[in-house]
Amino acid sequence: MTISVSGLSASRSGRVILYPTAVDIRPSERVGLVGASGSGKSTFGHVLIDTLRAQGRSVAHVPQSPDEALDPLRSMAFHWREAERALDLAPDLARRQALFAALRIEGGDLRKRPWGWSRGMQQRFVIAMALIATPDLLVMDEPTSALDPVVAAGTMDLLQAFLSDRTTSLLLITHDLGLAARRVSRLMVMDAGRIVEDAPTARFLSAPETPAAKFLCEHRNWLELPC
Amino acid sequence: MLKVDTVSVRRGAALTLQDVSLSLAPGRTLAVVGESGAGKSTLIGAILGLVRCASGQVSWAGRPVSDCRPALVMQEPRSAFNPGMSLSRSVMEPLVARRLSADPDRLDRLCRGLEIPPDLLERRPTQVSIGQVQRVGILRALIATPPLVLFDEPLSALDAVTQKHTARLIADLQAQEGFAALIVTHDLGYAAAYADDIAMLRAGRIEELTAAQTFVEAPQTAYGRTLRDAAFALGALGRAA
Repeated sequence: MTISVSGLSASRSGRVILYPTAVDIRPSERVGLVGASGSGKSTFGHVLIDTLRAQGRSVAHVPQSPDEALDPLRSMAFHWREAERALDLAPDLARRQALFAALRIEGGDLRKRPWGWSRGMQQRFVIAMALIATPDLLVMDEPTSALDPVVAAGTMDLLQAFLSDRTTSLLLITHDLGLAARRVSRLMVMDAGRIVEDAPTARFLSAPETPAAKFLCEHRNWLELPC
Repeated sequence: MLKVDTVSVRRGAALTLQDVSLSLAPGRTLAVVGESGAGKSTLIGAILGLVRCASGQVSWAGRPVSDCRPALVMQEPRSAFNPGMSLSRSVMEPLVARRLSADPDRLDRLCRGLEIPPDLLERRPTQVSIGQVQRVGILRALIATPPLVLFDEPLSALDAVTQKHTARLIADLQAQEGFAALIVTHDLGYAAAYADDIAMLRAGRIEELTAAQTFVEAPQTAYGRTLRDAAFALGALGRAA
């Protein structure tokens, strides 16, 4: 079922951060939301999550850093149980093993606390938690910027493989157009609280229309290599 | 010229750097890449004399590196500044420490090169954006005209667009000033775009040291290829159609 919301908005201390915005996301669609720091991307993500949850849709959120998602004083097993409990699910060993295998964290010791795992493994654990109930939408906010590039690329590959045969849609929020362009089929650009452009990735990259999109496209990669 | 000659650094029983040798001439840029824990920051510490070398030597023009007063630009710009001091006071510290006075023309020229508006320096580090603090960090590093500047992940705290813009400003200033730049980064895209040479550290050893272009077009080692492929997969490097 297509995710369809309208009238998303937010303001803080009388200043509008997000102007009324509507968005439709189809099942299995992978959408990128790009824009400069402070353009309102993360606010859009939060308001979208709240609105969808109020509609009874299941939405999962993966924050930028695993530090935001994990309590340093609790074991990984505790976090997993909490995630299941929050979804009213009974513990299911097979489900956990399948998710851990998909994200290659089978080797992690669940008795340890987050800092007993590497950062890359912590972030994949957080992604696995987000996927427990196969949500309608997975919102990822700068999911790789805290990771070493090799680990970051591997994490995105594993996630993409996992999502490929599921109906979960993905909203990837990032200031890095280079990253988004590699991972999504549709790109939205946020500028000063408004979505100013929304187009299939290929068309967006070849013919950006708005100044914000053109600026992002100009700063997309460090280099184009002939190989 | 910076010479690092078969330097090893020991931490407990393990070697965090092992027989590392490299050289860097004035005006040139060397990027040091590698995974987390490879010894990149240890190398900076060894060059600056902050970490004791178990064996090997580091020198600038045949003399100890500290004689040339190298400068360092740090990764986390906000924590690299004293929050209780105005930015201008922090910027002047390298001069004050050496009992030198600021050349207003030079300060003015560097500020223009780094796009720092004059009134910005009167603020505190928490009152300006992260990109601005990092540009002030570069200003502080360059104020006393060092011949060697070490950059430890100078762009990793910045957003993708600001990264590319700041890299351009650093390169333009380097062309004017002629300092040697050693840049530690795990962003191979940045290294490929701005460095003359790339050294890849892995588990404390230099596995590959070659011209930047050669490194990205034809990495010689398995990990070099992994790093290059990750840069493509994350969109840091593009493939021309």
